[in-house]
Amino acid sequence: MAGARREFPRKIESLSEIFAFLEEFADEHEFDARTVFCINLVVEELFTNMVRHNLGGADTVTLGLDHDDEQVFLELIDIDVEPFDPSTVEPVPVDAGVDSRRPGGLGVHLVRTMVDDLKYDYLVEDRCMRISVRKTLEQ
Amino acid sequence: MFEIKHDTDGIVTLHGRFDASQIDAARAAFESITRSCTMDFGDLTYVSSAGLGLLFATQKRLVDRGEAITLTNLNPHIREIFSIAGFDNIFEIK
Repeated sequence: MAGARREFPRKIESLSEIFAFLEEFADEHEFDARTVFCINLVVEELFTNMVRHNLGGADTVTLGLDHDDEQVFLELIDIDVEPFDPSTVEPVPVDAGVDSRRPGGLGVHLVRTMVDDLKYDYLVEDRCMRISVRKTLEQ
Repeated sequence: MFEIKHDTDGIVTLHGRFDASQIDAARAAFESITRSCTMDFGDLTYVSSAGLGLLFATQKRLVDRGEAITLTNLNPHIREIFSIAGFDNIFEIK
């Protein structure tokens, strides 16, 4: 496996740098278009959640990328933050119409639906949140 | 980069990547939509939940006054996102 890892400033404006980092990695390893779209979306949703909700955290969030012949692995690490497990977010009522639907929760819903595995770890001593994602590559 | 254009024939076209960093700049353009329209996604390459949220808020505001947005030319990846989000129930998609 050939991984890559980089730290990004904790701000929404970092997204353009993050997308460039993802594009470089995806091009180098010739990922298919659907996987590229998926990893852009998953990283954006997880990163923006960290920026918006993990107030008081470190100045940067670390993004790690790796892959093998069949899967891509993403990892986001946020230090000095409170625990928040995205798997505990209430399901979105996707069958509801516009009258009864409420905004919110869509990002986590999209992530949970589009990946094969979403794992959350929290190290109390370091106040460190780590979210790991596994996504099968298209054949 | 993201752009939204109101064409003279009543069609609203979206261009580029509609991600969380574009929401503040796009909000005014969406708030200026007050009547039913067709929104052309032909040049839109990417949308995340941030963009979906602004689209939803706009549709809800319009539907409350008897108007609605119809969507066209979604690429397969965006179409999949709309399906996962349940937006087939929120928008007419052609």
